[in-house]
Amino acid sequence: MDTLYLRRRITNAFALALGTAATLFGLAFLAWILWATLRQGIAALDWKLFTKITAYGDQGGLSNAMVGSLIINLIGIAVATPIGVLAGTWLAEYANRTRLGESIRFLNDILLSAPSIVMGLFVYTIIVLPSTVLTHGNTTFSGFAGGVALALIALPVIVRTTDEMLRLVPSTLREAALSLGVPQWKLTSQILLRAARSGIVTGVLLALARISGETAPLLFTAFGNNFMTLNPLDKMSSLPQVIYQYANDPGDTLHALAWAGAFVVTLFVLLLSLTSRLLLSRKVSHD
Amino acid sequence: MTSPALALAPSMAPPAAEPKLKVRDLHFHYDGFHALKGIGMDVPEKQVTAIIGPSGCGKSTLLRVFNRIYAIYPKLKASGSIELDGENILDPRYSLNRLRSKVGMVFQKPVPFPMTIFENVAYGIRHHERLSKADMEARVELALRGGALWDEVKDKLKQNALGLSGGQQQRLCIARAIALKPEVLLLDEPTSALDPIATGRIEQLIEELKSQFTIVIVTHNMQQAARVSDQTAFMYLGELIEFDNTEKIFTKPGKKQTEDYITGRFG
Repeated sequence: MDTLYLRRRITNAFALALGTAATLFGLAFLAWILWATLRQGIAALDWKLFTKITAYGDQGGLSNAMVGSLIINLIGIAVATPIGVLAGTWLAEYANRTRLGESIRFLNDILLSAPSIVMGLFVYTIIVLPSTVLTHGNTTFSGFAGGVALALIALPVIVRTTDEMLRLVPSTLREAALSLGVPQWKLTSQILLRAARSGIVTGVLLALARISGETAPLLFTAFGNNFMTLNPLDKMSSLPQVIYQYANDPGDTLHALAWAGAFVVTLFVLLLSLTSRLLLSRKVSHD
Repeated sequence: MTSPALALAPSMAPPAAEPKLKVRDLHFHYDGFHALKGIGMDVPEKQVTAIIGPSGCGKSTLLRVFNRIYAIYPKLKASGSIELDGENILDPRYSLNRLRSKVGMVFQKPVPFPMTIFENVAYGIRHHERLSKADMEARVELALRGGALWDEVKDKLKQNALGLSGGQQQRLCIARAIALKPEVLLLDEPTSALDPIATGRIEQLIEELKSQFTIVIVTHNMQQAARVSDQTAFMYLGELIEFDNTEKIFTKPGKKQTEDYITGRFG
């Protein structure tokens, strides 16, 4: 008997050690990345980052890229949120457990993991290229096209979270409302979406965090711009794209600027994640 | 009054006044599973009718046919007839809005809407009637008093209903249901998620409500059925085995199966 227990204890200790090692291995890289970003990013922080545009090169800052990122991300979220919430609601409330619903859910999951460069090329083909007709052949890269490309990445995230959050709402809540004679559309819009609200907002924030680090979809769409612009129909700069560009440059000053940009993006994403966690935990304590 | 011989007749009930609900040859199918097998019963008006029986006997299913709430799920089918004041509610032409304003329902778990206490009650009313602000306030107060909740919540009507205790939430759900002034109130194991004290309050409330409403309560708790109901129906494997005065069911049941269940020999 004693040897049986001993063997179990040894196996347990062994498995536990392996699990801990694997966790530490994964976390170590995350810590390394965060540490490098923090150290190099903070070292490169400077007011001119927020006041000067990229046109000055190593004497400049990132202000146009920050503003561009903000505008492009906002366009992306503004396009993706209504479509995503409506589609997710339809999936959960009207097409749940139907073959059509299951197929669309499956396709949405594929879209969720589609390579982001494909989204960029897709938008290039359907928006950027065709609109050259209007400009007599001049290039038509724009912040708007970049926003649409990001929307295509945010969309499946929002569809998925809306769908899941609504399906978490207990069916008894639906029955309770329907038993009062309330019609389906009122039930959905006034009760279910309200019950799932904080979860859905969290999904939108996570989608925003996801797209704010995307580079590839912007290369063929927003393209980049060394000058400040607020016009979404103009070529537009963005932080990830400038980071990509500066990181490819041999100059150390530009590398420092890239680190600073990376730091700003990381901080933004971190804040979004914290906000969404806060929202979700408030929801849990509420129930 | 009902002899065992009468139990073979299509309906079983003490022959009193015209019944509120007249169930005839009711069958129910869950995607291939025959859950109710030819139920016939007369539910008397303004009394409490309890439905008891072991898990899976079809008692909740029967209750869920009374307001056609089952119809929100695909592949479920009811046949036969249930007359509410002489009109067949299973007829597709019987409007769901009308049915659900006449037949209210309270569920096993309290399910307040994610709104204020006031809005929880006002929400259903607003769907059926246009009321002025003052009228609505009076109506909500009346419903909350009816649900024996007014004194506890009158100072916090604007607070979220999810902050109430389980028992209070369940009384809110009852208030929400009676706010529509239904004629029939269906209670599906309304106390199974509550502690004994909250259960006692709900049972007391049922006693108070039966002067105004015809109440049908499904319960797995036989003592509860004995305490609150006037009539008791015993169901087993989708069939109505016996339906009679509660006192008779619990003291000298007409069927062996009923007796076995009551005395705890199975179930």
